[in-house]
This record gives sequence, structure tokens and C-alpha cells, in this order.
Amino acid sequence: MSSVGGVYLESRLKFLRRTQNPDGGWGYFPDKQSWFEPTTYAMLALQGTPGTDASLDRAFKLLRSWQTPDGSSRPSGEVQGGTWVTAQAVTLACVRGIYDDKVRNSVDWLLRVVGAESSAAMRAAAFFHLLKTKADFSHEGWPWRDGNASWVEPTAQALVALKKVSKKNRSPELDRRVSEGEALLLSRRCSDGGWNQGNPNVLNYDLPSYPETTALALLGLQGRSHAELDQPLALAARFRAETRSSLARAWLVIALRCHGGDPQPAGQDTSASSDIMLTALEALGHPEGNYGLLRTGAPA
Amino acid sequence: MTRRQFIPLVAAAATGGYASLKLQKPPKVPDGPPGSSAVAIVRARSYSEDLVSHMLAGVRQCGLDARGKKVLLKPNLVEFDSATVINTDASIIAAAVEVFHRLGASEVKIGEGPGHRRDTLDLADDAGYRSNIPKFESIFTDLNRDDVAAVHGFAGEPDFYFAKTVLAADLIVSLAKMKTHHWAGATLSMKNFFGLVPGSIYGWPKNKLHYIGIPESVVELNRTFRNTFAIVDGVVGMEGNGPIQGTPKHSGVLVMGSDLVAVDATCCRIMGLDPEKVDYLRMAADLGHVHPERIEQRGETIASVQSNFALIEEFQHLRLV
Repeated sequence: MSSVGGVYLESRLKFLRRTQNPDGGWGYFPDKQSWFEPTTYAMLALQGTPGTDASLDRAFKLLRSWQTPDGSSRPSGEVQGGTWVTAQAVTLACVRGIYDDKVRNSVDWLLRVVGAESSAAMRAAAFFHLLKTKADFSHEGWPWRDGNASWVEPTAQALVALKKVSKKNRSPELDRRVSEGEALLLSRRCSDGGWNQGNPNVLNYDLPSYPETTALALLGLQGRSHAELDQPLALAARFRAETRSSLARAWLVIALRCHGGDPQPAGQDTSASSDIMLTALEALGHPEGNYGLLRTGAPA
Repeated sequence: MTRRQFIPLVAAAATGGYASLKLQKPPKVPDGPPGSSAVAIVRARSYSEDLVSHMLAGVRQCGLDARGKKVLLKPNLVEFDSATVINTDASIIAAAVEVFHRLGASEVKIGEGPGHRRDTLDLADDAGYRSNIPKFESIFTDLNRDDVAAVHGFAGEPDFYFAKTVLAADLIVSLAKMKTHHWAGATLSMKNFFGLVPGSIYGWPKNKLHYIGIPESVVELNRTFRNTFAIVDGVVGMEGNGPIQGTPKHSGVLVMGSDLVAVDATCCRIMGLDPEKVDYLRMAADLGHVHPERIEQRGETIASVQSNFALIEEFQHLRLV
């Protein structure tokens, strides 16, 4: 690793070590309340780095305390009700080699929750052409919150989680949901090969794909054939060079690396930003970062 | 399936399609609260004019007292596309910061929680906010990722969460963009409050609001936050397939007022839309004034600045006749 590369990674890891909250979690920004999402990425970025075992144990304990009786995880200690971060709970548990009742409950929740657009009413509306859309509602994905529609990001997060947990515990239902989730993502590609947040088309107007959701969809689709992913991977590489979003660049680097690419690191600056989630993702995507923790391949 | 149940389903599919369920003969919109509301229309032909003076004139015409208040400016920041007119122009926000300081506000902050793009700070950078608004970083909060607290009873929910920066404000100023909207017909000062809802809990977009219902959510947000003021950026708005894929429409106006229903109704009339046919305004009639006889128009007249905004097929029925 070059010294610049080393400073790039180390400055981010140092920032993450410094910004852990007393409760064990991380906020989206320093000195803010702890949230599940930035805590997940900070934990992944710091996993296996010297001297962090105890602090990661505290963080994991905090996140586990946010599990609700239905198996879902709350996005922060201040919020009631679980959300898509439940997928991150499963991913983290897999990374830490834990598969216990709490994890099983999280997995059960993921297997139970389906985007509301898969309802009979919505499918009927689509069948009778009541919707001016090219969307395919025949596949089951995941919503941000139970009772809402499927979106690309929570579907991709759930796919990463279920593919990782399949190495420990595979079931026909898990295989079916993974297959359905992948089909949903593949059916929602925009005309340029990437992904918007949801459908590729509104009111017969094509929507552009977004760099960050394209990266996340590619993470969710690990293990699919090159033929299916060549176009989006090429688009992701182009987005990596062109996007003005630091967050998108960070996700793109991680996704490209998980697909075997070797893109330049997400940022140029050797100093970390004040955005904890961004900093963690940039550290994850570094050539010597922990991006491999998000590798899934196909279901085991 | 009722219309209320159906439309959220459709909208929630991201974007799926619109069911074109048009009200054939909508009943008369109620008169609204007692009294009348002042709405100022101020000409601003370009963003290079003296927007501070224009804004001060309009705010004073509306009689707003901002002295000692903690003011939160809420722009409409949507997309990485600085070449178009999707976002509230940076010069409008910079002018508003100065205006509210001059009006004696104890604090002026800016907050936004974009509905689709997660990278709020880079989005703001791309929209020119960082370079055009003094001390931007120290006064800006990403409302999608701020600390939150619960509000009880929002849209019948036991707990609904908002950014603490929003809840701490004495006055929320909606710095909206004058745009058509492919689900709501128009997006103006009231719908701009979608950005007060944290994505960290409700996602990107805030799909929960689609399920509550788009017009229902607009109304509920404005019922929850009553200490508000609006300054709508109609210098260059958006027509056609708004709020993102439409085309620029020069109107050369700023529209202001404390009654956001009246401000939006006025904007609709400027855009050539009948506000009495816009669902969320019909539903918000108990919060403010839609009827022109209950709106005290200050500054320019509607007729002098009116210019029809192009509408997509689904909203042709909103055209003011």
C-alpha cells in the first residue's frame, strides 16, 4: 500500500475510532445520537483492525438491544418499530459468525416481509392496465418499512443479508425469496442498465438510473451471471468516474470490488469528512479495506 | 378499493402509474378559517436582481414578525442537476438568510431532507449552496439524518418522527420552487414539507407518506407545523413533467405569505391551475384560504404575472378556465 493510500485508510479508521458514542454506537455525524446504519458500516470498516474488539462488542450489543419482539430491528434507540436495517443486523451477525435465536428471528422477519405492491389488489390493477407503468409487480422484494412498497436499496440489503446467512442456514423459502428479490431487481433496471430508487418508469417517462442505487443493486445481485451484469457493471464504472456524489462513489467502489474490479479509491482526500457513514464506506472500499465482508456470491 | 387506498398503492410502486381518477364536479371548497390572509407577489425577473430587497418588501407586506425567533429555512433540494431548475436557487436561500437576520431572528438555519438522493451535503454543494451561502456548513442540517424525536398522532400514527432541528424551530420558512408535480399536480410551499420527514426512518423516498396518501400527508404536515411562512421561488419554475423531469418556466415572481394554503392557491392561479381542483388544497381548506375573495393580494396582481405552466395529460383537468 502506498503511503498516501495508507494515510487515506488510517485517517478514516482513526476518525471512526474517535467518534464512537459512549453507548457503543455511531451517529450519522459526530456527537449525534447513535443509529443502526452508520454503526453497521463503522463496525464493518473497523472489523479485524487492531484494538477494536471491545468497542465492536459494545456496538454489537447495542444493536442487538434494538431488536423488537417481531424480529425486526429499530433504526435507533429513540425510534419504535423495525425497518430495513434488520437486513444489516443479519449481515453483521454473519460477519461476526453468530447464528443464534436473535439472528433467526431477524431472518424470519426478512422472509415474512414483502413489498406491498405484491398484493393481489396491485397485481390485479396491473393486470387490467389500470397503472400507466412498465413495472413488473410479479416479484417480491423488500420495503423500507413493513407495509410499504419494495425499493431497490432495501431489497439489495436484504439480498446481501440472506445470501450471507445462507452459508449457515439455507431453506427453500430463503432460496425462493433470494430468487424473487433478484428477479425484482433485474426487472427494474432502467433503460441505461442501472437502477433508480424504484421503478424505471413513471407515467411512461423513463427515469434515469442513480449511481448509488446502481451500486447497491449490484451488491444485491452478486453471484448472477456476467451476461446479466456486464451492462450495469460498465455503467457503474462510468458512474464511478463521473458522479459528483461522494456517497455514490463510495458505494460504487465497494460494489465494483465485490464484483472483482479494481477501481480507484472513492475519495482523493487523505482526511475523513465529518460524515461517519460516508467515512466508513470509503474505508470499506479501500483496496485494503473490509469490502470483502459484503461479498456474498450466490446463495451457498 | 377506495381511491384513498388505491392511489398510495400506485404511487408507492415508485412511481408506478397514476390512476387518473378525476373528480368530475368537485364540491365547493369550504370558506376556511375566519378572516383573510395576505399574500405578496413580488416581481424578480432574474436571480441576479436584488433579491434581499424584493424579499424584505414581500415579507413586510405580509406583516411577518420574525424578531427573536429561531428560523429554519427549508429549501427544495432534490437532484444533482445544477443545469436545470429542479432545486430552489441558491441565491434565494442566501437572500432569505440575510432577510431573516435583518428581521431580527435570533437564529437562522437551513435544513433539508431530500426525498430521493441520500447524499444531501454533496447535493447542496452541487446546487451551489455551499459556494453561495455564507457559512453554509455551520448552519445546514441534513434532516434525513438528524437526531429525531417523536410527535404523537401524526396521521393517526402513535409515533411519527421528525428531526430535532425541525421541532426546535419557532418559524419554518418554506423556500419552495414553483413546479408542476406528476402526482400532486403542483409542488409548492406545502408539499415542500415532505423534506421535513427523516429518510433514516422512512426511507428514500419517504414511502410511508405515499401510504398515508400524498395530499393527506401534505395536509397533515402543514397541520402539524403551524408556525410557518412561505417564499416560493417562481423566478424560474418548472412546467410539464415536474418535479424533476420538467422544463424551465420563467415566471419572474416570488410569492410569500404566512398562510401557506393561500400562497399555494395564489401560485396555482399564477401557473394557470385551478387551486380548487388540487386535492391537497381542497383538503387543507380548514387550514387556510383557497378562495380569492379571502386572499388579500399584495404587490403585483395575479393577472399581471399569470402565465400557464404546461401540464402532463393526467393533470389537464386542473387547468384554470
